[in-house]
This record gives sequence, C-alpha cells and structure tokens, in this order.
Amino acid sequence: MEICKVFFHLSVSVILSPLQNYPLYIRSVPSQSELKFHYTVHTSLDVVEEKISTAGKAMAEQRELYLGLLYPTEDYKVYGYVTNSKVKFVIVVDSSNTSLRDNEIRSMFRKLHNSFTDVMCNPFYNPGDPIQSRAMFTMVSGLKSDKCGWLV
Amino acid sequence: MLIGHLRDPNNQVVVVKGLRISVTGVNTRSPNSGEVRKLLSQAVSGCQPPEGLPANVITAGDYDLNISDRSVKASVPWYSDWKEMLTQLSSSKYYTATTPWFEAYRENFLQSMPASDHEFLNHYLACMLVVSSREAVPTEQFLKLSQEQHRIQHSGEYTYPKWFIPNTLKYYVLLHDISDGDEQRADSVYEDMKQRYGTQGCYLLKINSRTGAAGPDEQMPDPWSQYLQKTNIHSPYEEGVLNNVENNISSEVDGLDLSDVVSEIHPLKLEQSADPGFPGNPSKAVNSADTARTQKQGSVTPGAAPTAHGACLTLNDHDRIRQFIQEFTFRGLLPHIEKNIRQLNDQLVSRKGLSRSLFSATKKWFGGGKVPEKSIAELKNTAGLLYPPEAPELQIRKMADLCFLVQHYELAYSCYHTAKKDFLSDQAMLYAAGSLEMAAVSAFLQSGAPRPYPAHYMETAIQTYRDVCKNMVLAERCALLSAEVLKSQAKYSDAATLLIKMTSEDSDLRSALLLEQAAHCFINMRSPMVRKFAFHMILSGHRYSKAGQKRHALRCYCQAMQVYKGKGWTLAEDHINFTIGRQSFTLRQPENAVAAFRHILINDSKQTATQQSAFLREYLYVYKSLSQPSNEGSLPQLPLPCVHSAQTRVFFGHEPRLAEGEKQAATHVWLDQEFDQEQAQLWAELEEQVVAVANRGSVHISFQPTQYCLSSHTENLRYPFAVVEEPMFVEVVFRNPLKVPLVLSDLSLLWKFTTKDFSKPQGGTTGETITNEKEAAAGKATALNDIISTEVIPEFTVGLEETKVARLKLLPHKTGELHVLGIVYNLGTREEDNSASEASQLMFVRGRQDLEIQGPRLNVTKEEKTSVRHGPDRRLDPIITPPMPLLEVFFINFPTGLLCGEIRKAWVEFVNVSAVPLAGLRVASTHPEFFTFGSATADLTPVTPTAAEHCSAYKTMVTPPSDAAVTLVSPAAFGITGDNRPTVVEIPLTGGVLGPGEALQIPLWLRGPDREGVHEISFLFYYEGLEKNAKLGHRVLRHKAVICASRSLSVRATACRSNTLPGRGKRDEREEERSGSMLVFVDVENINTSEAGVREFHIVQVSSSSRQWRLHKCINPAGDKDSKLASRERGKLCFRATRCRTQEATSDALEKYTFADLNLGNEQIVSSTTPCADFFFRRGPPSEPRKGGVITVGGLLRRQSLTPANSTDDSMTSIVRKCSEVELDIIVLWKAYVVEDNKQLILEGQLHVALQTIGKEACSLSQKEEAQEMVLLKFKPDLPPPASRPSLEQLSHLIKTCLHYPESYDHPFPQKSLCMVPVTLTLSNCSLAQVDVIIDLRHKTTSPESLEVHGSFTWLGQTQYKLQLRPQEVHGLSLKACFFQAGVYNLGTPRVFAKLAQSGTMCETSQQSAMPALIIINSV
Repeated sequence: MEICKVFFHLSVSVILSPLQNYPLYIRSVPSQSELKFHYTVHTSLDVVEEKISTAGKAMAEQRELYLGLLYPTEDYKVYGYVTNSKVKFVIVVDSSNTSLRDNEIRSMFRKLHNSFTDVMCNPFYNPGDPIQSRAMFTMVSGLKSDKCGWLV
Repeated sequence: MLIGHLRDPNNQVVVVKGLRISVTGVNTRSPNSGEVRKLLSQAVSGCQPPEGLPANVITAGDYDLNISDRSVKASVPWYSDWKEMLTQLSSSKYYTATTPWFEAYRENFLQSMPASDHEFLNHYLACMLVVSSREAVPTEQFLKLSQEQHRIQHSGEYTYPKWFIPNTLKYYVLLHDISDGDEQRADSVYEDMKQRYGTQGCYLLKINSRTGAAGPDEQMPDPWSQYLQKTNIHSPYEEGVLNNVENNISSEVDGLDLSDVVSEIHPLKLEQSADPGFPGNPSKAVNSADTARTQKQGSVTPGAAPTAHGACLTLNDHDRIRQFIQEFTFRGLLPHIEKNIRQLNDQLVSRKGLSRSLFSATKKWFGGGKVPEKSIAELKNTAGLLYPPEAPELQIRKMADLCFLVQHYELAYSCYHTAKKDFLSDQAMLYAAGSLEMAAVSAFLQSGAPRPYPAHYMETAIQTYRDVCKNMVLAERCALLSAEVLKSQAKYSDAATLLIKMTSEDSDLRSALLLEQAAHCFINMRSPMVRKFAFHMILSGHRYSKAGQKRHALRCYCQAMQVYKGKGWTLAEDHINFTIGRQSFTLRQPENAVAAFRHILINDSKQTATQQSAFLREYLYVYKSLSQPSNEGSLPQLPLPCVHSAQTRVFFGHEPRLAEGEKQAATHVWLDQEFDQEQAQLWAELEEQVVAVANRGSVHISFQPTQYCLSSHTENLRYPFAVVEEPMFVEVVFRNPLKVPLVLSDLSLLWKFTTKDFSKPQGGTTGETITNEKEAAAGKATALNDIISTEVIPEFTVGLEETKVARLKLLPHKTGELHVLGIVYNLGTREEDNSASEASQLMFVRGRQDLEIQGPRLNVTKEEKTSVRHGPDRRLDPIITPPMPLLEVFFINFPTGLLCGEIRKAWVEFVNVSAVPLAGLRVASTHPEFFTFGSATADLTPVTPTAAEHCSAYKTMVTPPSDAAVTLVSPAAFGITGDNRPTVVEIPLTGGVLGPGEALQIPLWLRGPDREGVHEISFLFYYEGLEKNAKLGHRVLRHKAVICASRSLSVRATACRSNTLPGRGKRDEREEERSGSMLVFVDVENINTSEAGVREFHIVQVSSSSRQWRLHKCINPAGDKDSKLASRERGKLCFRATRCRTQEATSDALEKYTFADLNLGNEQIVSSTTPCADFFFRRGPPSEPRKGGVITVGGLLRRQSLTPANSTDDSMTSIVRKCSEVELDIIVLWKAYVVEDNKQLILEGQLHVALQTIGKEACSLSQKEEAQEMVLLKFKPDLPPPASRPSLEQLSHLIKTCLHYPESYDHPFPQKSLCMVPVTLTLSNCSLAQVDVIIDLRHKTTSPESLEVHGSFTWLGQTQYKLQLRPQEVHGLSLKACFFQAGVYNLGTPRVFAKLAQSGTMCETSQQSAMPALIIINSV
C-alpha cells in the first residue's frame, strides 16, 4: 500500500497502500495542479521501489525508513519514506524552497507516520479504504503551518 | 551490399563491407526547415503500429503491458544493418527500445541534415556525368558537363552542393537505351571515352532492353519500389543552368546508381531518397539535342503511376546496373578515396614535423585575430568561428571523415581525437563538438573495442551544440546517436535522461518522440520502471497531440492507461480516459471514445459536478453521433445510471387499492413492503397448512409457497407464474454515481415473449418468439401492446448521487413464456439554466441496459464448492398461465384497537374480480382465536353491516337471574375436531362458488387478544379455480391486520372442594352433591388503564363450559346483581359447581360440552352459540405458552389423563392427580361503557379462565408467559419432572372427610356429668383407586395449645381405625365424643392418613386438616 502523500504549497503528502500502491490519502495544497501532483507521485513510486529493492534484503531488518530525496524535478523535490509494512509516504515540496532541511522533512515524515498509525488503530477504519480522518487532516495542515516560512 | 578493399596509409588492407552509395542530383538541395518539419511529421504519421499483430507484452511487476515497441533488434533494419555490418556485434542480446515511427523520423531527420562546413560527412565525393547514347556528339556533352561541374564546385557561386575534396572524382557514364538506340554507335562512343578517360573512369550502361509492350501478366520485380515510397526530401534546384545535360533524376538501387552526378557515402545516412522520376527515363533532357529522343516511358509521368517504375528493365538490366555500380565503386570511388587519404596523410605527416607549439605560435603571430581570449563573451564568438574550407585545420577532420566513410574506424578515431584537440585549443567549439561526436561514434564502431566508449565526449558534444552553438539540430542528431549507443549498451537510464533533456518547447514532434523513447527506455530497464514509463508516455501523448499526431497521441495514452487503470489514481485515470475519449472521437473511433467516457462516468468519480456534467455532455454528444448511423440495429448499452440488477424485484398482481371509506382492502403483498425472512417463513407455513387442509391432509412433495414478490431474498430457481391479463411490475434500482442529475425519459421494459397455449395437453404449442427490442429502439415501446402492454414512464429523474427505484409495468394478454431482458430509455441530463432547455431536449441518447441477475452461488457438490458457480435466477422469466380467479377481500368496520377479550362484529367482503369463477375459499391465520365467521349453526342471514351498530354481538334472551341455564353443545358444530385448534377455516360460499364479478359479504366476529399490546395478525386467504390449472393450483391472498389490545379485566378463579354435607335439601341435589360439588370463586379486577375512555365494566354473565362440570348457582352473598367495576376495582363472585348429571354422561355426551349460563342481569347471553362458543372453542390453552418448552401442570395433567399410565408409579400419580383435576372453563362476559367522542359506547367481551386443579388459582391473563420471558438461559438439560411420586399436597386430596354432628347440643350437666355426643365421620374416596385409610383419634400431644383447647373432650371407644375404601366409596364412621362441661369445642381433631392400596410403601399422608368443626355444648 502506498498510503499517504501530502503536498504542501507546491507540496503534496501522500500515503500509499503497501502492495497495490493505490493512494490512501492525498492532500495537496495548491489544488489547481492536483493532477500533476498525482502523476508526479505515481511516477516517484518507481524510484521508491528501486530504492527498496536496492537497499538489499540483508538490510531489510534495520533499513532506514526515510528514503531521502527520491528525485528532483524542475519544480519539485520528491521525498519518500517507507514503513516496515511497506506503507509508502511521499512528500513533494517546492524545490525553490531551500529552507527545508533533510531533518525537517524527516520529522514531517515521522509525524505523518504517527498520524497514520493512529488512523490504523481506529477500529472503525477499514484497512485499504481512503483515509478520511479529521485528525490526519489537521495534522497535515499543521505540518504546513509549522513551516510558514517556506509556505507561500 | 558491396565488399571492397582498400589500403590505408600504412598499407594495411581495410575491408569495406556493406558500403552504400547515395546518389543525388546535383541540383538538389537540402530543404528548408519548414519543409523538413513537414516531412518529418509526415514520416511519423505515416508510420503507425501495425494493427492486429500480436503486441509485444512486457511483464513488469504486477503490470502486463502491451507496448508497440517491437524491440527485438533483428526486426529493425536500420539498426541491424548498422550493427551486423559495421560492428560485428551481431551476438548482442540487447534489445533496442525503439519504434518504427521513431526510426522513420530518425532516418528522415538525418537525411534532411543540411551539409555544414564543419564536417564533411555529407559532402559529395564523386560526380557521375551521364550522357545518353543518342546525343549527337556524346563526347562534347561529357566535356560540357565536366566543365559545368568544375564551375559549380570552384566558381564559388554556389554554396550547395558541398564538395569533399577539390579534385572531385568524375565518372563518365554513357547511357544506352537498347530497345531504341544504335548499339554500335554507343560502343564506338564508349571506345572513344575509354581512350579519353581511361577504362576506370567511364562506363557504358545499357538498359531498357524490354519493349514497352510488356504484358501485364509478366511479373517483374519493381526494383525501385522500396526507394520510391520514401518521401523525397531533396527538391531540384530551379536554376536551369545546371540542368543542361544531366538528368536530374537521382536514385539509388540497393547500392546501384544511375545517371547521376554526385555520390556521397555516409554510413549513418543509409537511406537515400529517390525521385519519383523513373531512372531509366531521361525525362528532363533540357538540351535541345535531346528532343528527338523517343520517350518510351513518356506516359509514365513521375509519381503518377508508381507501380510502373522499372517496367522496361529486364533482369539482365538489373544485373547490368548492379555491375555498373560495382565497377564504379571498385574502379572509381574506392581508389579515389584511398588516394585522397594518402595525400591527406602525407600532408599531415609533413605538418607534424613542425612542433605543435611552434605551429600554434606561428598562428598566434600571423593570424592572431583568430585566437580568442578566454572570456565568455569571446567564447560565443568562437562558436561562430569559421575556418575557410581549405584551412589546414580542417584537413585532419577531412581525413577522419574519409576514414570513417570507408569504415577505418581506428584511424578515424585517432584523427578525430587529434582534430578535437586542435579545435579545442583554437576554441573552435562547433568544430570541436563535431569531432567529439564523431570520435565517440567511431570509438563505438570499432570492432573489438580496444578502448571504452567515451560517453562524456557525447555529453560534451551535445552540450556544446546546444548551449554554445545554439544549434538544436546538431544537438538532436548527436543525442539520437548517443541514445542509440547507450541503448545498445543497455544504459537505458542514461539514454532516458539524455532523451528527456533533449525535449524542448520548440518542437512538439521531437519532444513527443524523444519522450516516448525515454518511456521505452524506462520499461526496458532491468527492473522496469513502469510508472515512469506511463508518465512519460502521457507526456509524450500530450506532445503528440500538440504536434497534431492524433493517432500516436491516442496510442500513447492507451499504453499509459494500462498502468494507471484500476490502481486508485482516479484523477489521473479520468484525465487519461477523457483524453482517450476525445482523441478517439476526433479519429473517428467513436466506440473507443464511448468506452473511455463510459469509464469516467461509471466509476465513483471524484471530479467536481461541473466537470462531471461536462464529461456527461461530451459523452452524450459522442454517443449520439455514434448511434445515429446504426439506428436500425440493436440499441447500444448505456452506462448510466448504474442498475443494481441483483436488487431487482418482480411483483405479480395488481397494484393495491387504497382504503375506500370504511372498506379496507386486504393488505396483500406489494413492492413497498420490505422482505422479512420471518414473515416469509410464516406465510409459507400458513400456506402449507391451508394447502394441506385443502388436499385433505397431504401436501404435495413439490409444494412451493406462492410468491408474489420476487427479490434477491427469495428462491428464484423456478420459473415464476404470472396470470394472463394480470399486470406484473418490475422494480429496477437505479443509482446515479454522478453529482449531476440524470433524466431518463421514455423508460420501459424490453422483453421477449414466446406464445404457448397451455390449455392443450403436452405443454401446448409453442408459437414464435416476439420481442419488442426493435419497437423500443424506435421509441414505439407500445407497439406490441396487443400481446403485452408495456408501460412507459415518460420521465424519470435520478438526482445527484441518488439511488432510486422505478416500477415498470407489463400486462400480458397471451399465455406463454415471457423474458424480461432489460430496460430501454433515453438518457439525458438537465441543464441548470432554463435558457438552454431546448438544447437539453436534444441532448439525449436512446439506449438500453440489460438486467442480468446472477443466481445464488451453488455450494452443494464438491465441484461447486471448489469453483465459483452460480445457479440460475428466473425472477425475470415468468410463465404466463391461463386465467385464474382473482380474489379481493375488503374488511368493513374492522377495528384497530380492542380491549382484551372484547368481541366486535365486523364484515368481510369477498369479491371475485376475475372472469373465472372462484372456489374453495379458505382462510388460515396465525391467530385463529382472534376471529370467527360463526359456526355452521349460526344464523347467517346477512344483516347489513350498518345495522349492527349498537347491537350486541351476542345472542341474548331476556331471563331473570336464576339458576344456570344449561345447553349441551358438540364442538364439532363449531368446526372443532380433536384437540387442535383449527388454523384453517373454510369460508362458506353460496353454492361453493363465487362467480366472476360477484361479491359476498359475511359477518366476522373479532375478539381482542388476551394479552395487551400490538398484535400483528396474518390472514391467508386460499382459493382455487373451478378447473384445475396445471401450472397454478391455487392462489392466495394475504392480509395483515394490526390490532392494538388494551387491558380490560383480569379474572382469577379458584375452585375449592365443597365440604358441605350431603343429606340436606332435595333428593336430586343430594345426588349431585354425592357425585361431587365445588365452590368456584371468581375474582374480577378492572385493570384498564385508560381511565378517560372506559368508564366502568359490568359483569353481565358468568358461564361455564366443561365436559364434566357446570356452574350450578351463584352463591354470591351480596345482592349486587349487576356488578359494576370502576377503574381498579375488584369484585368477587362465588359459584357452586356440580358435576354434570350422570345420565347425560353417556359416551356420546362425553365429547360434548355443557354450557351453563348464570346471568347477573336480566339478559341471558346464550353462550352456547356464535360468537361466544366459537371463541370459547378457539381459545388457546391459556397457560400453555405458544412457544418454548415449558409444559405447565395443566398441560401435563390433561395429557396424562388421556394416556393410560404404564408403570405403577405413573398410574398412582395419575390416580392421585385425577382426583384433584377439575377441567372447568369459566367464561366471564362483560360490558364496558366507553366514552368516545362524547358518545357512549357499550363494548362487550368475554374472558376465559380454565380451571384445572382444585385449589389452584387460574387467571385469564397468562402470567406465566410473562414470567417465561425472564427465564434464564439453561445450558443444562432440565431436571426430569418430579412426577414419579405424587406430591404430598396431591395425596392430601385423596380422601374427603366430613364430620356430621349437631351444631349445638343441650346437655344437663348437673344431672349427668358426662355428655356423649354421636358424631359421624364421613370419609369419601375421591380417587378411582382403593385407598387404605387410618384414622387416629388421639389428640396430638405435641402442641400445648391443642391440649388447652381440646383437652376438655375425649373420643370414646376405639382410637384408631383402619379402613379400606373402594373407589369413590363414601363411608360413614360413627364416633362418640365425650364432654365434661359446657362450652364450644372443636371436633376437628381426628387425623386421617391415607395411602393408595397398591402402593407398596406405606406412605401415609395426613389428609387435609379439617377446618374447625365447632360444637356448642349447652348446659341445661
């Protein structure tokens, strides 16, 4: 599943289901170019898969969840994060935004992961369904506002 | 394919293989950029993926992709030639990711490259001078041509064509037309030429040996065809000067050249264009001397008839042409090249003598202006730096190119390398980039690959071309080459990056092609990057569509779709589908367009409403244009709205009528009712009961309950039956997934019908099958209404995201087999604005949707369990049977609320609405105690329903209250047989038949249920036709009544054994008392809660009904005859009951019930008639719960009394029980005064209490049931009922004792101190067995109180008696009591012990302690 992608100003965060790689949660901040983000995120999955497979089976145990920068496009930077259960998180940010450090992205992913875990713990959530959690929404919105600096 | 040899400067032999010679007219030139663009676009669009060929399937992860990349390298001619011929890499197992249109593009692109000054690869090496043998003086012409060529090359007037070397090779060719010209003359001219130019420099080519009259049957291969189909990219010069003698036709035949001026060789430009003009046809001889020439193929105008090319050539001619080219190559061209390489090499070697530094220093001094400063601004200038054509710096490049052309790649590489260094040091960037590019290529092409491929050369070259030189064409060429090289090395990722980098805004076509190639690279990677492939395909598709390549765009989107489909990326999916739809539509593939639009619409779209409505409109538009031509054929399937086939319900019968005034129609079944499994089960059980009764107790094995409403819950394995001339309704569930309302108009059902006449034996004759599909398609759904009337719903709106049902009606007029196929309708949408209302009217399409219902999954056999199989569902395939009667039932004055036990008279009307007589009317009910139609004895003269108001439902007689009036009634008269309550009641019809259209009204008495609350009472009316219908034996009509019962009275009754003495009163009474009498106490309490409604209750009468007992007399002490009970009041009534007379107790009378009425008022209600007795017989066993396993004492008793006991214990028990058993039913009849709407009403009712055991209180309300609801769940089996031993309490009822003594006794104590009073103790055996009795007269000594009270008298004589009493024997025992003083004494001290005689154990039981028997001893 790929579970979540959130796009912030020119950024998206997406959660994707682990096996079929369909989106569980997509949130993009400028909604007008949503389609483009969808394409970008979907394409980034190839890189995610490549990174997972090249990370090697030996390293599978203590693999770092954070995959780092997947690839830069002209306008965006795409970051990836894969949980042990192969839930993929993708964050796309505006590449003009230089204030975002790797650490910040990493903590954003961690927050996203925690929030996702909360959603999964909800007994009323049917695994595989699109996430419609309000907590997730506010969390993602919070991610955004924390970083007012890099948001326009 | 030519294989030649030449020697390099070091005298090494170089093998030249597969040399191709490209021949062009001297007056052709490179087209301008606009033309190139057009040509490229034509080339790409002309090359489409072949249809029908098996596509290349790539499996990548979860994806199976069909891509049109036919990527096996052997299938690609260009590539295979290159690699096999030039690099010997034929063993390569790599695939190229390429597509035919890309190759076409690439070839055309490379060919259209203009010759530039910085490289020589497409400069001309040699010049053929061709003169026809018919020229008057050919040698002169040769001279002229030679001069002309020299002028073109050296005069500087022409920038094109560009020449490789100053002294271009001239090859003189004399062209001779065999069929026409003078051969000897040609030969002589040729001899002349040989002397003049040497044998190596000239050639006589004889062709056209065939006469023009070649038969069409002769199939000659067209040698030019493969070249002619190529588009011509060279256009002839306009300047006439050049065309003096030369034929302007250029062509190339598999390396063969004809009649041309210039040849150039370029291994990377293997394709050469051919003029449409025929090579053997010197069509444009401008020279005047040429006019006399016969134009054999004059009729063959260039391009007009391409198939006619080469028609005059025989196979010999072909060989000659081939020979000519070989001659030219080996004798002329290769030696020429070899010579030039040597010359250039010598020049270079001589120049190398000077040190490089010196050389550059000299340059600095003498031509300093050329050396640029290292500044960026300067760099730009140097990009434009041009060497003069014969500049020494270019010589090495020239040599490199020559070596490259003859495939001496090693030398070429070293030369390019050197040249690169020189150019770089000069900052001549364009030249340097060219050298870098070619160095990389020659390094790649070197066989054996002594050095690694310098990929960075290519990168630098591309960068330089693009950024410094701003020459996109060259950059593109370089990128294409580089990509091919990278692909052949399986460096797909690099290739993709390179290709993507090359995309730019200036050319959509190029970008599209490169993106597509990049996508193919991604999919060809070792771990295929499917998503990147898809994404780049979409990008490519976008660019294609911008470039006007619609077909390619569509193909790209379709291929990308494979990746996105069904993966949850709805936005992307919708986008792709929408684009596919649009492109397909513009490409006139409306089917595909419709399919694509369909996808957008049927999936749960996340698009906005406006977007959806746009989609919908576009879809409708496309659909309309699609369906118009095929108006005659079958209707198209529509995707919207979604039809939930499985939820389709079918109802057979008429729509229910609403209540008409007082008349209330039977509820029956209708589509509004939800399916309820429990209810369905209940109805099925009822129907089974009634069918069993109708068939005299047996139910056919194949009995199936009638189903009027078929849904997914019912079993639909069998074909349902519908009756002709009766409608059927099909309820279809529509769901609109869109945020736009949908409007369906002219909605009707599609059906197929086979007429069959079932009245004939053997299943009848089968008629032809008719269907209304065509009529429905034409919008005339009602056309076949004489067979089956089809209802059309004119407009049906399904709101946004709404689920809605439509009920569609069919009315069959003939018998046969009907199949409902689907629905047909016009699909449209409603415009928001009213102004466009007319347009919206037009915007709809007619189509259908099939109703296909999958049956339930089969799961019986192993095979079915292991596979997924579904059974049939025949819901929609009814069999239309011949006419059947149809009953309608109306209830008149049917109440909704009743008091518990209230009797109400209502009327019921049966109407036969069919044209067939109806018979065998019966009704079954879940609550048979609730209603009665009256007994057979009842007076059925129908009084009109209105007359019944305020009249008592009971039959009454005016009688003063007195002793009980007794009637003997057989239960059979009330339709009761056996112990079971009848659940099925036959309804008497006059003559047993209800004719067509007839109606029958009969009275119906209702009695409020005993328990308060809301009761659902189900009636099932059963009826059949007069003549047996093979298909449909009977029909049923259902009715469900809801009755709200409110509390009325609570009656409790107790029976006590009477201890009165026999011997008093009349003889017959004594007789009665001897046989037994009882006291019956009846407690009546008003427990009605609605104080406002019911004012008071009056107990009007108490009746009894029993087979053995009857109420005899009211012994109420109070004189209150009309006992009134206000709210919460309680009254007590006391009655004496006696056994029925023995003479009546004949065997016949045993089954009869004695009804005894004791009226408290002036009116006697004849309880033995309808309805009182009906309800009595229909009462349920009061204490027996309807469900559950608890058997109460009453039930047990009754059962045990009926079955003879086997074991002694059991028999003992039964004997003991029997003597305390009563079996007396008390009927309390009451009237209630109710105020309703300021009107006083009198309601009547009756309550039943069943007395079963002496001393045990019975109640009209079955409290046990209430208690039972609270019973805990038991997980262990119940203890066996402790019935093996009679309880003490029961045993105590064995013997009835009675003391007979004078109430007061006068005795003169002063005279006689002892007073002896005779007392008779009467013992009566109540049981039917012998009983041993012990009478103990001793006083109990235990109780001090008894001592005190009883101590003052003693019994005289024997203190213990042992007796044995026969069954029912009465025995008198004379005792004497002795008193010492006057006073009041209690004589009831004798203790009586009894035991059954058979009983082995001497279990003595104290009989009931007699009540105090007081005697007064008076002293006189």
